[in-house]
Amino acid sequence: MLTQIWLPRLSFAPVNTAPRGDTLVVVFLRGAADVLNMVVPHGEEAYYQLRPSLGITRPDDLRKKKEERTVDLDGFFGFHPNMSPLLEAWQSEQLAIIHACGAPDESRSHFKAMELMERGVDDERGPASGWIGRHLATLNTGNSSPLRAVGMGTRPQRSLSGSVPVSALRSIADFHLGGDQRALQQMRVALNTVYENDVLGQDTLSIMDTLQKLNVQNYQPPITNYPDTEFGLALKQTAMLIKAEVGLEVSAIDLGGWDTHFAQGSSAGLMPNLMKDLAEGLAAFHADMADHMSKLTTVTMSEFGRRASENGSLGTDHGHGSMMMVLGGNVDGGKVHGQWPGLGEGQLIGPGDLAVTTDYRDILSEILTKRLNNSATNEIFPEYQPKSLNVIL
Amino acid sequence: MTLSRRDFLKLGALVTASAALSSCSPAQAYRRLAGDLPTVPWTALPASDFLALNRITFGARVEERARFVEIGLQAYIEEQLDFATINDLSCDLQLSTFDTLKMEANELEGISNQLFDGYDREKVPNELRQATFLRQLYSKRQLYEVMVEFWSDHFNIFMDKEKEFFLKTVDDRQVIRKHALGNFRDLVRASAHSPAMMIYLDNQANEKSHPNENYARELMELHTLGVDGGYSQKDVMELARCLTGWNVKEHFWLGDFVFKEDIHDTGEKNILGLSVQPSGIKEAEQVIEMLVTHPSTAKFICTKLARRFIADDPPAQLIEKAAQTFLNTNGDIKSVLRVILLDGLTLAQPKYKRPVNFLLSALRMLNVETDGIALHDYLVRMGQLYFNWPTPDGYPDYSEAWQGNLMPRWQFAFALIRDELKNTKHNLNALLDVSSTGILQDDVDAITSLLLGAPLERLTRDGIIDSVRAAGATEEETRQIIAASIIASPAFQWR
Repeated sequence: MLTQIWLPRLSFAPVNTAPRGDTLVVVFLRGAADVLNMVVPHGEEAYYQLRPSLGITRPDDLRKKKEERTVDLDGFFGFHPNMSPLLEAWQSEQLAIIHACGAPDESRSHFKAMELMERGVDDERGPASGWIGRHLATLNTGNSSPLRAVGMGTRPQRSLSGSVPVSALRSIADFHLGGDQRALQQMRVALNTVYENDVLGQDTLSIMDTLQKLNVQNYQPPITNYPDTEFGLALKQTAMLIKAEVGLEVSAIDLGGWDTHFAQGSSAGLMPNLMKDLAEGLAAFHADMADHMSKLTTVTMSEFGRRASENGSLGTDHGHGSMMMVLGGNVDGGKVHGQWPGLGEGQLIGPGDLAVTTDYRDILSEILTKRLNNSATNEIFPEYQPKSLNVIL
Repeated sequence: MTLSRRDFLKLGALVTASAALSSCSPAQAYRRLAGDLPTVPWTALPASDFLALNRITFGARVEERARFVEIGLQAYIEEQLDFATINDLSCDLQLSTFDTLKMEANELEGISNQLFDGYDREKVPNELRQATFLRQLYSKRQLYEVMVEFWSDHFNIFMDKEKEFFLKTVDDRQVIRKHALGNFRDLVRASAHSPAMMIYLDNQANEKSHPNENYARELMELHTLGVDGGYSQKDVMELARCLTGWNVKEHFWLGDFVFKEDIHDTGEKNILGLSVQPSGIKEAEQVIEMLVTHPSTAKFICTKLARRFIADDPPAQLIEKAAQTFLNTNGDIKSVLRVILLDGLTLAQPKYKRPVNFLLSALRMLNVETDGIALHDYLVRMGQLYFNWPTPDGYPDYSEAWQGNLMPRWQFAFALIRDELKNTKHNLNALLDVSSTGILQDDVDAITSLLLGAPLERLTRDGIIDSVRAAGATEEETRQIIAASIIASPAFQWR
């Protein structure tokens, strides 16, 4: 009666046994980030014709102040100025960019695109679980920690769903019951009884015990300051969990607000603020985790890109091709990977969108096989044959 | 359950008198006088009845259980559908001091604009959030409030975007609450004329020289046809052209809808095979008319309703029948709901309580008195603060989305029973006085019957009692800890 008998928990034995590989951090930019203004193709004339107001000026365009100009990366692409906190990682060759990548879905619907991408499937017929959920389910790393995978925030991400229960974690400092010791002890016993046969409940109890031992208040990132945002907190907590060696294998983090149809801002404003949060956060994480980079891979993704041309409200509408970044000690970094399809006439697709030349699953598959020791990519991305771009060394 | 006029006058006199005597506000005095502490014990319910009640309400109060037992499912649904005849005086009185709920946009802006004296950025959103909570908690029109929540998700607006923090109050009143149990066509039309929606989905920036597709897309994808409803990217762009000029007045008239002829695209359009001749504001009206009567819309809306009330994966036959009713009645929401509830409840599958539902069910079942302010923080931590979902699809409505964040639920259960939440008091002991003997085992049976519908099996019950007693709890502590752990338990997380 007390346990929920209907709980739909499929359980199947993992197909592989392997030592655990890197810790994977997956950052999802929700709302379809305008990647053409993040990693700017400043070498492409068409970009400036399509974006007369929103375009980020060329690195050598002296009519604009330096802090408003693209920061050159390789002579053709450059960072938006607010992405420049990532320059250090780029120069140390630990940051790779894959441009014009994404999913085949062309619905241009956030919700459909996000769902398919997080499930790692081509269409609705695929498995309902998430790609990370299937990664966890198909690989036995001998790690039974309830913190094996964590969704930072108030709800575990769709990508994490599957047969291995995953908890959401918004704040480590907040993850405990308040009250006097006596009542607390009684409540602990009662919870243990009512959750006797419930994996998620038992996991929550054990996370509570684990986190209590961490000295959260006194955690000082040794080198760097994270931005004082939800995103910064999520990265900082990920760093804490990794350093505390509590069994974290995957951390999923969201950064929302990228649906910029209206007044997105070019060098300053709405979207540049998001880029600042993203880049400062990742740069802080990179610096904080410098000693762990050989066992850490971070990947960023978004459900699709935005229209190549700006719209009349100084924003951009839904597009297609997107961009991914991979940050880690084993990344072929300092390089923009993938084939650039161009922004010229005849090169754009649909209503005028960047084409997709690399499937996002190619990148994720490479990370899974080369860094996470999971070769079951045919189960994680069913009916998909991944191609390697050698983004991972 | 209803108050007669004579009762009302009597109550009014008492309130005035007691408010004068004590320092408490009239609303508080009313709450005390009209607070429905049950006078009859509750009985165990068959699981199907308890489930039905918890789909129709935010969690059944003792008197709602009694009413359900008295008149049966069908009559109970009819009574709830006929919401306007349900006397809701005590709830209305709780809201009597929230003056912003009735204001027009320009007045609301006056309060919210820092140029003016006495400006308060938080007053309007706080009152709307608190009122939403108090209505869900105290209103006797429970099915109506459940539908208000449903449509607030369906026509989601994020209060943190630009002027939404005060415009949503108008949308809530004029769009959602006005039509929640009315007609779907009126609902969509009202939403399309809602300044809050125009601004949220950027239609105020949709002009002929440079269309903005945002609202046009979501109008088809999320509000009517559904993503697989058979429209194309071309249809989105064409509808966006029809919607050019659907806009919002600025400055002194801020918050009024306006059609701006000069930025409207006067060319011919073609949407879903319908050729739309240039006719100004009538073009989009014509398309909306087509959308609200489209079979894809009927199916999409009925699927979502069945998902809310029946199951994450609702049975196809039920959707089909409800969709047929939707089309036959031109989108009469009550008729559709009748089908979904009467045909569907017997097919119901467990649904994991969303955070709002979880909080409300505990508060309602335990007759908790609260102003709701202390609950705000729990809604944030559980991820369902009212009007705070950024994207236009609304808070998710499938069980898995909400599992995996147990800690704040446990924290709430523990704090509630220990009376640690500010201005929040449960009535567990008074309830037990009515429905139990005072013997610990009987009290635990009464608590579980109240919260889970029926008492636990004896072995399970005694197991919990023994474990808590073994941890050194007194009888009184045991009662409390068990109440808290039942609220925190897996079974209570489902409705």
